[in-house]
Amino acid sequence: MRSLYFGILTAICWVLAGTYSETSWRTVRPCIPEIGRRDIEPTLGQGVLLGILGGMRTVIADGTWVRSYVLWERKDRPGCETLMRTACALDPRSRYFWENTGYVMGYDMAHWEVRRRGGYAKVPADVQEHLYRSYARRALEVLDQGVVNTGGNAALLIAAGQLAEMKLKDQLLSARYYRSATESRNAPWYAPYFCARNLWEAGQREESYRWYRKIWEEKLSKSEDGAPDDLKNLREMEQALHLPIIQRIPRPAWEK
Amino acid sequence: MTSAAISVRHLTKDFRVGLRGLKLRAVDDLTLEVPRGQVYGLLGPNGCGKSTTLKIILGLVTATAGEISILGQTYATAEARRRTGFLPEAPYFHKFLSGRELVRYCARLSGVAPTQLDQAVEEALTLTAMTEAAGRPIGTYSKGMLQRIGLAQAIVHDPELVILDEPTAGVDPVGSVAIGRMIQEMRSRGKTIVLCSHLLGQVEQVCDRVAIMDRGKLVLEGRVEEVLSRRDRHVITVESLTPAARAAAEAALAAHGAKVTSVTHPRRSLEDLFQELVKGSRDA
Amino acid sequence: MKAFMQRTTWITWVTFLEAIRQRFFAFLIVLGGAMVLSSVAFRFMDFGHGELKFVADFGFGGMFLFGSVLGVVMTAQLFFSEIDNRTALTLLAKPVSRAEFLLGKFFGTWLVLAIFVFVLSGLLGAVLWSRSIELNELAEKMGRLAPEFSPGGLVAFALLQWLRLGVVIAIVLTIASGARTFLYAVVVGALAVVAGQLQWIAQDVLLKPEGSVWYRGVLWVTSRLLPNLEQFNIGDALVLDPTSVPANAVVQVAISGLIYMVAFLMLGTALFRRREI
Repeated sequence: MRSLYFGILTAICWVLAGTYSETSWRTVRPCIPEIGRRDIEPTLGQGVLLGILGGMRTVIADGTWVRSYVLWERKDRPGCETLMRTACALDPRSRYFWENTGYVMGYDMAHWEVRRRGGYAKVPADVQEHLYRSYARRALEVLDQGVVNTGGNAALLIAAGQLAEMKLKDQLLSARYYRSATESRNAPWYAPYFCARNLWEAGQREESYRWYRKIWEEKLSKSEDGAPDDLKNLREMEQALHLPIIQRIPRPAWEK
Repeated sequence: MTSAAISVRHLTKDFRVGLRGLKLRAVDDLTLEVPRGQVYGLLGPNGCGKSTTLKIILGLVTATAGEISILGQTYATAEARRRTGFLPEAPYFHKFLSGRELVRYCARLSGVAPTQLDQAVEEALTLTAMTEAAGRPIGTYSKGMLQRIGLAQAIVHDPELVILDEPTAGVDPVGSVAIGRMIQEMRSRGKTIVLCSHLLGQVEQVCDRVAIMDRGKLVLEGRVEEVLSRRDRHVITVESLTPAARAAAEAALAAHGAKVTSVTHPRRSLEDLFQELVKGSRDA
Repeated sequence: MKAFMQRTTWITWVTFLEAIRQRFFAFLIVLGGAMVLSSVAFRFMDFGHGELKFVADFGFGGMFLFGSVLGVVMTAQLFFSEIDNRTALTLLAKPVSRAEFLLGKFFGTWLVLAIFVFVLSGLLGAVLWSRSIELNELAEKMGRLAPEFSPGGLVAFALLQWLRLGVVIAIVLTIASGARTFLYAVVVGALAVVAGQLQWIAQDVLLKPEGSVWYRGVLWVTSRLLPNLEQFNIGDALVLDPTSVPANAVVQVAISGLIYMVAFLMLGTALFRRREI
């Protein structure tokens, strides 16, 4: 009988332990960077397991990154990509890993692929373009993940905006990234201009002006120098749009 | 409730061995009683089930069938174990502890009150002649000293029942005799002692009753004198026996229907001779 | 109850004395300490995480790795040394219950691991503190934001690590209670710890409303059988970004660890009661 009571008590304790750990896990979950499980699968067993288990994630991620550079030098695309993604997965809050993985995938890897197929002289321009676009798309996926994991890091959004503009030739997409960068913490001063310029060049001239003007009035004009370069850009846009004087930005005292 | 210190009835123990779970019967329908205040010898060859029986009595192993009673309790309750002392076969203790620390540790575990601790420890060490070496780490002890410190930890809480499993295994004859004396000393204090041993000579000397086991079964049990004496034979020890005196004695015995079957010189045991030669030597 | 506590305390003390003398313990604590101290020398390998994070990661890694190895191996070793050397026979023939024996082993080993965790945490704290002073001065000169280091967070983390190792010891003791050999206890214990470290995957899936009933059922059972050991790894946040940690997080994780410890020790006692010595 005593054993039965003890058994029942043990079972109750067990269920309680499991149930309570759900509560505690919900509380601490945001404090622990999530590991990208699928990204690390190919590299499991290369010391990465220890990182997944909780110890020395940063150190192992750094070691993995150093190793990825060896493969980058050899232009080993699959190996380099796997290790870089592993570093990102192990330490997903590191901007550095996401940003550089995005750059390497979006710029270098397409270039390696062109060279592997015989070089720029041999590979037709449309194939080159196709390669650039496909690698740029993959790089943007990586950067998007990085943006999520780093809580909307401005540098990653800028990198994505550049890639979308230069390799994907998608100025609307590029503008979206620059717009997000503008709205993020520590936004660089040039982000609004790039967003407006891309929208403008994509044909959305009025929307571009409206948004740029709003940002200038709400944020940029309140900076120490009043952002005169942006105002100059806006004046050029007003000219190009043939806006009547009354609809233009009122002239500040300091404007030349 | 029984007046015996230990009572075992129809005790059976099977061990499962191997992946197929084959049964190995270690104790087979054993029934015996250990009376209080006596030294009880449990004898038998290796693997006959002596140690298993003791472990079942102490609650370290569960019986497959049968009943046991120890100091009036129906199983080895904490209360029964508090009143029992146990020295396992080839005892091993933490080497880093000193003898005194070990005995003290065991005394605390056995429930000796803190106020009586020092006295109980010193008494146990004195009885087992370990006072001098008690400050040394156990790792430096000889085999005989290990057995004696093992005995000290078994009796430190002044138990009613002391179970000794091969207390003289690996001990030289001098140490063996010393342990025999300690057992007799404990009996004189009214303790019940269960002794498992291969040294039949020693068992014969110190035990009041013996039980002999073979292949898990009890083959003989009774008082030592009863089981050893041959009622149809007699021994007369004579000094200065001449051939003529011998012939006259044989004739006189024949007249009463008795017959002399052998005439030999009495022998001392090798143990007695050894004791005489190394008298005074101490195990240290 | 008083006698129960006293006997458990005595067994704890002797287990502690035995464990603290082990060369294996000395070796791992020296190795862990060397790792923490050497982290400063390796900081050039850091890729933009912030130097303190890199140094802290080294220390946390040392505590996690060597602590886990110590927890698994030493627990199994201390348990089986009593069984194989038959000192357990002497102890359990006295009025010592199986629960007292097991708890004594548990607390004795846990006490040794407290020394391990707090010595390494102390070293790590000293390294982080000295580097944070230098980095703060540098940041002030360059007009940058100074890196954050919370000594209180480090103490909280050390306590959580100690609790985690307590759960590890309880797991290994439970396995050892039913195991026949030391090797089996070590291997299965290590696997159980690894599984516990990965249990969060099951819990994460359960938190999202996806998957079939069967799949979720299996995950539910898994998440209840295994403890979530990953929840103790909030060192980064506690030490370097304490404001990001919810106020009740440490307490909740500690309570969760304590419940797991009790649950495992109860199961271990039940198994050990059936064991023939």
